[in-house]
Amino acid sequence: MKAETLSHLQGTDALAKAVLESLGEGVIVIDTAGKVALLNRAAEEMMGWKSFEVVGRGVEDVIQKETEEGEHIPYKDYILKKILEGKEIIVPVTKPYWFKRRDGSRFPASLVATAVRYDNHIVGAVEVFRDVTGEQEVDRAKTEFVSLASHQLRTPLSAVNWYAEMLMAGDAGELNEKQRKYMDEIYHGNQRMVELVNALLNVSRLEMATFVVEPEPTNVMTLVRSVLDELKPMVDKKYQTLTPTFSPDLPLIPADPRLLRIVFQNLLSNAVKYSAEGGKVECAVSCKKETGRLSIRVSDNGMGIPQSQQNQIFLKLFRADNVRETDTEGTGLGLYIVKSIVEHSGGTIRFESIENKGTTFFVELPLGKV
Amino acid sequence: MSTDRKTILIVEDERPLMEAIQATLEKNGYDTLCARTVDQAIDYLKKVATVDAVWLDHYLPGKNGTELVAYMKVEDSAYKHTPIFLVSNTASPEKVYNYLQLGVDKYFVKAEKRLDDIIKDITGLLAAEE
Repeated sequence: MKAETLSHLQGTDALAKAVLESLGEGVIVIDTAGKVALLNRAAEEMMGWKSFEVVGRGVEDVIQKETEEGEHIPYKDYILKKILEGKEIIVPVTKPYWFKRRDGSRFPASLVATAVRYDNHIVGAVEVFRDVTGEQEVDRAKTEFVSLASHQLRTPLSAVNWYAEMLMAGDAGELNEKQRKYMDEIYHGNQRMVELVNALLNVSRLEMATFVVEPEPTNVMTLVRSVLDELKPMVDKKYQTLTPTFSPDLPLIPADPRLLRIVFQNLLSNAVKYSAEGGKVECAVSCKKETGRLSIRVSDNGMGIPQSQQNQIFLKLFRADNVRETDTEGTGLGLYIVKSIVEHSGGTIRFESIENKGTTFFVELPLGKV
Repeated sequence: MSTDRKTILIVEDERPLMEAIQATLEKNGYDTLCARTVDQAIDYLKKVATVDAVWLDHYLPGKNGTELVAYMKVEDSAYKHTPIFLVSNTASPEKVYNYLQLGVDKYFVKAEKRLDDIIKDITGLLAAEE
């Protein structure tokens, strides 16, 4: 449209109409009864309806919505409906709604909905939406790339590991003290890289939802003890005590040992890592048969999480200031992974922490789901 | 068996890894054969009198490790009971599960294990089988 034409339209309904029809995003307006009052051209194209076919019809007939898993969302749960009732709604970007087209196919949509007000009354609601299939594909491609790159990285990491191991074992001749020290550094540095790659792989699997949960009868006591064995060198070095307690009749529980191990491994190694010499770490596991839940409590009397950063502790790559000062090696991925696994399994995780006093994590897991 | 030394067939396509595995196995008293592909490995199995165990990687040029396991585990195979140790960087639970279903004796994730520890495990398992 030429500027002079646009200025001709200034202040007229025609300008608003032209802009609305030219928008790249879908716009749908409903009245207070939930009937469609307007559908712009982008919305027509996305949904496969013509405006004249749908104006006056109930919005739930025109735009059917569902969750990613295909669960139908009834009109009473539409954001538009809630807005008509005067509620404020925040739509999580990570969980888009799926819109069903006229032909039954569907697409993920990100949307913003607001009330239409006239004379201080809500007279309707407007929803602006767009298809985020592209964004989702980009996100998926990124995650797949991380997964592939991590696998590729493991081969050279194995080579460095194994050759360092052979040199340190004296397979190529005795090392002098300085050579041994340097080899130790190479080996240790490489171990950190392996851990980081493993953590990244776990993150990408979680984000691609390729973490298949395979429950099998699992002896939690044995599993926890094997994690404790792994941590023993670090615990001994810091003169800490690490005591596990198990409820007396802890049965073989249906759980995926690999996932459960990641949960224990991260919570316990954090507790040990972030407690001082002589510190005390406790791990209590019990199974509540009546609720069908496994309860895990891991507590330490270590450095704690600063009050001001407690709301960020489960964020990916986040590390609290106090631990970054004392330990430069963490990845900031452990608790993010734990939370993802726990929530993926329908469980809950929370913590209580006071800086310089200690932290306790509480995890509840439904049996058979992790 | 003619000697006390056992022969392990190593199937690994990455040269540096192959050489490290070979050197460490030999240091621990094993004889070794090295193959880069499943077809080479099958060739060895056909021609060599005794292979006491197989050290197998998953991702190999051409056929992958599962095809060697399938070849060895068929009903009338002379190698039906020969232990197979999978040592791979691919640790997805489905793959581990598949291999164990096929009859692999143990699955090791390369980057997470010390060479010595893997060999110690293998020695233990071989001793237990006797």
